[in-house]
Amino acid sequence: MVTKACTKCHRIMEEDRCAVCNIPTSKNWSGFLIVVDPENSNIAKDLHITLPGEYALRVR
Amino acid sequence: MIYAIRTLVGQEKNVARLLARNVKTSGIEVRSILVPETLKGYILVESDTKIDMQNPAFKVPHMKGAIEGEIPYDEIQTFLNPEPITASIKKGSIVELVSGPFKGEKAKVIRIDESKEDVVLELIEAAVPIPVTVKGDQIRLIQKEAD
Repeated sequence: MVTKACTKCHRIMEEDRCAVCNIPTSKNWSGFLIVVDPENSNIAKDLHITLPGEYALRVR
Repeated sequence: MIYAIRTLVGQEKNVARLLARNVKTSGIEVRSILVPETLKGYILVESDTKIDMQNPAFKVPHMKGAIEGEIPYDEIQTFLNPEPITASIKKGSIVELVSGPFKGEKAKVIRIDESKEDVVLELIEAAVPIPVTVKGDQIRLIQKEAD
């Protein structure tokens, strides 16, 4: 199982294309963030994350 | 408020995933869980209330306990926006390759592609200078700028 991250929204997934942004995902990512409650999270606000889920901090 | 939790090294992501699942089912006020790459053996939990390690939701394998006290939000901002590896490297720097076919070789930086984090190098000990393109994480800085 290879996890990949969307280069735009940084969401972590297994698909080759991001389901939200519809752009190719990248295997080269680092840093890991789970957002549970994006509305009340300062971290999510800082990173402009509006949906809960798993995110990478850096994707290239 | 940010709290740090100690985990087994290498199990940070698994602990974070299990914790996130427990949080969702038990309804504890955890906003997010951060696993910075540079901080080995720790995960950071963003929560409005103090972490109660007695709560069954925090009984997760590979977790070694919480750290007393809060972490100021300013201190974790460096983890949220990691600096690119190529930021500290300049044209003319002497670097050592740490992986790949040229592992252990010293090289001089001739060009940096910031967006792709690619670095074009010229091996110092090679008889004929050949440009080699490697990723930014495959090199280690030895000398900031060659004389």
